[in-house]
Amino acid sequence: MTAFTADRKNADLNHDPGVVGYSSNALKLFMEHLEQRPERKLLDVGPVCQENIRFFARRVKKLYVCDMFIRLDRCIRKGGPVDPIWEELDYPPNSFDGILLWELADRLDDPDVKRLVTLFHTLLRPGGMAMVVVLGDQSGSSAANAFVVAQNFRVYLRPQPHLHLPLRSRQNRDVLSMMAPFIPAKSFICRPGFMEFLFKRE
Amino acid sequence: MLKKNRKASAEPPAPSMPVAVDQKTVIGDQISIEGAIRGKENLLIEGSVKGSIEVKAHHLTVGVKGQVEAEILAANVTVSGRLAGNINATGRVEITKEADFKGEIKARSISVEDGAYLKAVIEMEREPLKSVSPSGKPEEKTSSEPIKEPLILAGKGSKGN
Repeated sequence: MTAFTADRKNADLNHDPGVVGYSSNALKLFMEHLEQRPERKLLDVGPVCQENIRFFARRVKKLYVCDMFIRLDRCIRKGGPVDPIWEELDYPPNSFDGILLWELADRLDDPDVKRLVTLFHTLLRPGGMAMVVVLGDQSGSSAANAFVVAQNFRVYLRPQPHLHLPLRSRQNRDVLSMMAPFIPAKSFICRPGFMEFLFKRE
Repeated sequence: MLKKNRKASAEPPAPSMPVAVDQKTVIGDQISIEGAIRGKENLLIEGSVKGSIEVKAHHLTVGVKGQVEAEILAANVTVSGRLAGNINATGRVEITKEADFKGEIKARSISVEDGAYLKAVIEMEREPLKSVSPSGKPEEKTSSEPIKEPLILAGKGSKGN
């Protein structure tokens, strides 16, 4: 997988042919859905980046960021269980209209994914939407990336060299199964080989 | 008396005492303060502070060794250490990759380095809703390309979760 490097952070992503990105249909639908919600509270679990704070904070009433990637990384480095990181998501039930999981589930074992999904199902309001990205077999690298959102819902990958997280490749059916409490709304296969999923809470 | 004062000012300040350097007060890493801090100059915290900090027209820096638990009102804030609390800045808030921040940010502009340990609530004036054309292409009137300049956050509304 090609990605742009941190030193190209300030490059014009929309016009630099060397920067690989893709148009995210899922993100566009996700934002359209969010904009219909009266409260427009969004949770982004990271990796948190400046560009996304700008993009989302201007489109929602309240943006919550809680970088679970860096928390997971620290937990794994300590060699202990990852359970303590879930305590960070101590928001009241029905707090959010949208949750951006990005590829967090791909970094977790099945039991932890189950716990994550149950928790997010509680945090999401009825009718709210969650967006999940699965890197799939074609990702070619286990490196963690920030999904940097740019103009017209283009998404670019920026490596996060400070994160050393395992990658569990999951297939389409695995994702649908792990997200079972949610209703699948849409899925897309994107150019770099990713799969994007939108799930809704009833 | 005068002599004594001269002598005192000529001596280097004792370590771990707040010192003013170039109109900046430094709270050293061996200092702990509980209570309200108000000031009219820049402040660098490398020690421990719990309470409130008000340097309305000045720059507050929480250095890499700093541990702060406070409500903050400042013009600009840089966080490189540990900060739990709410920031209300009239100017820029900068969160560096060494930072561990938990709280709410209200500011005119913010920058966050990749790698910052962050749990935050960010509110800003929302841009007008964009219409989506029949072709499905959003008609963006404002740019959302990666920022080169600080992003503008206009804090508004209530606090907390």
